[in-house]
This record gives sequence, C-alpha cells and structure tokens, in this order.
Amino acid sequence: MTNRENILLEKVGKELPFGVPENYFNQFALQIEDQIGHKHVVGRNVFKSWMFMAAMFVGVVVMGQLFYASHQRTLARNADNYETYVLSQVDETSLVDYYVDESNK
Amino acid sequence: MSPTEEELLLQLSQPKSRSGAFSIVVRTYQERLYWHIRKMVLSHEDANDVLQNTFMKAWNGIDGFRGDSQFSTWLYRIATNETLTFLTSKRMRTQNSIDDVDETLLQNLQADTYFNGNELQMKLQKAILTLPEKQRLVFNMKYFDDITYEEMEAILGTSVGALKASYHYAVKKIEKLFSEEE
Repeated sequence: MTNRENILLEKVGKELPFGVPENYFNQFALQIEDQIGHKHVVGRNVFKSWMFMAAMFVGVVVMGQLFYASHQRTLARNADNYETYVLSQVDETSLVDYYVDESNK
Repeated sequence: MSPTEEELLLQLSQPKSRSGAFSIVVRTYQERLYWHIRKMVLSHEDANDVLQNTFMKAWNGIDGFRGDSQFSTWLYRIATNETLTFLTSKRMRTQNSIDDVDETLLQNLQADTYFNGNELQMKLQKAILTLPEKQRLVFNMKYFDDITYEEMEAILGTSVGALKASYHYAVKKIEKLFSEEE
C-alpha cells in the first residue's frame, strides 16, 4: 500500500456513504425471480416439506402406540392393585370359607 | 448448504433447474454487483435500473457463458459494461459534456435521500468524479473493494501494469485535491 493511499484511508476511510431502502435486496431478488418465471419458496423446499409432514405423521403414530401400550399397562396394574386391595380387606378365615363354598357349588 | 459454482453451472445448463439456479445466483451476487454499480452511478434509482439490466442480460446470455473465466468475473463484466453504457447514454440523452454529466451526478448525490455520508466522504466522492470513467472504476475496485489487479484484468480486459499505473495516478490526484483544500 502506498503512502498516499494510507493518507487517504486515514482521512476518509473505506466506508461507502450510500444507503438503500429497507428490504431492498429481498424485494429486488423477488422482482427478478418474477421476471424469469421462478416461484421462490421461502425457507425449506417442497420436497423437504413433504418429508417433514411424513416424519410428523410417523411420530404421531409411534407416540400413539406408545401411549396406548402404556395406558394398557396402567390399567392392568390398577386392576392388580385393586384385587390386592380387596383381598387385603378380607380376613383369611372368610377367604377360605368363600373358596370352600365355591368349590361345593 | 449453498451449491458450489460447479453445481450451479450444471443446474444453469439444464432447462428444468435453470430458473431455480439463477435465483441463487441473484441472491448470491446482487449486493456485490449493486455496490459496484452504485459507486459509479451514485444514485440508488439508477443503480437499481442498471442492476436489473445486468441480471436480465446474464439470464438471457447464460448459454453464452463458456467457462473461460469464473462465473463471478463474467457477471462483473456484464455489470461494468452496463454501467458504462448507462453513463454514455445519459451523456447522449442530455447532449452534455462529460463534465456536465459529472456535475449532474454530483448534484444527484447531494440531493439523494440515500446518501448518508459526512463532509469528508462527500469530498472524496467529488474528487473521484474528477477522474476519467475507466480510472474511476479502477480506483473504486481497488480502494473500496480490494479487488486484486489480476481479477481486475479479467473483468476490465486491461493489463495489470496499466491498472497499477491507473490506480497510482488516481490516488495521487485525489490526495492532491484533498491537500489543496486544506
């Protein structure tokens, strides 16, 4: 770099004194795309959208299955707990009498 | 992930993927080309017009890109030619001398809503306007954009030696103008 260039850089710098309207470059690109007949898809492309939806569907099905299985296990556990509870309320003598009566029927 | 220049060129060569690839080209290069043009024409409206012309010319001439230079170099070349054509036609429309056109450019700059520089920056722009057009181009590309002389040679078709000399004299002249006014 020459001395003269250094002097200029020190005095003025390299910053450009120009601005642009807000969102200009995005609008410009959309304008050109319109002129060439291109539809700009914001963010992900169409294929990725379908993949995302498919993944979501699979996720919902899997979660549903997991929830259903868990719910069934809970129900079974509750049933066991209930039976245990009921049996705990009955003394042994009454229980034996019940089974003997049942077997005599 | 953005495609490489090779992938982009492949997509540009195929009719089905051409417009999608060109959209990427626009979004990748528009800012660099805009500022390259704006530094020469000074007004935002004019820069916008020239930039549009640049990309439409590139779109219509895609098949003519032979790959003997980088794609960005090719785009810069189109932008430069469109800018010089614009300035020439402006001169012919008003049938003014080069000095008058530069005076008009300066007046446009001072009145421009999108000029947000200080006094020194205005002084520099005035000084740059005293340079011949091609020398102005060289100065802008070297001083503001730090483009190498080899890249400039590819864009402007001028030898490295001539570009170095041109820049050297441009800086000398501008620095002298600054010193005289102090």
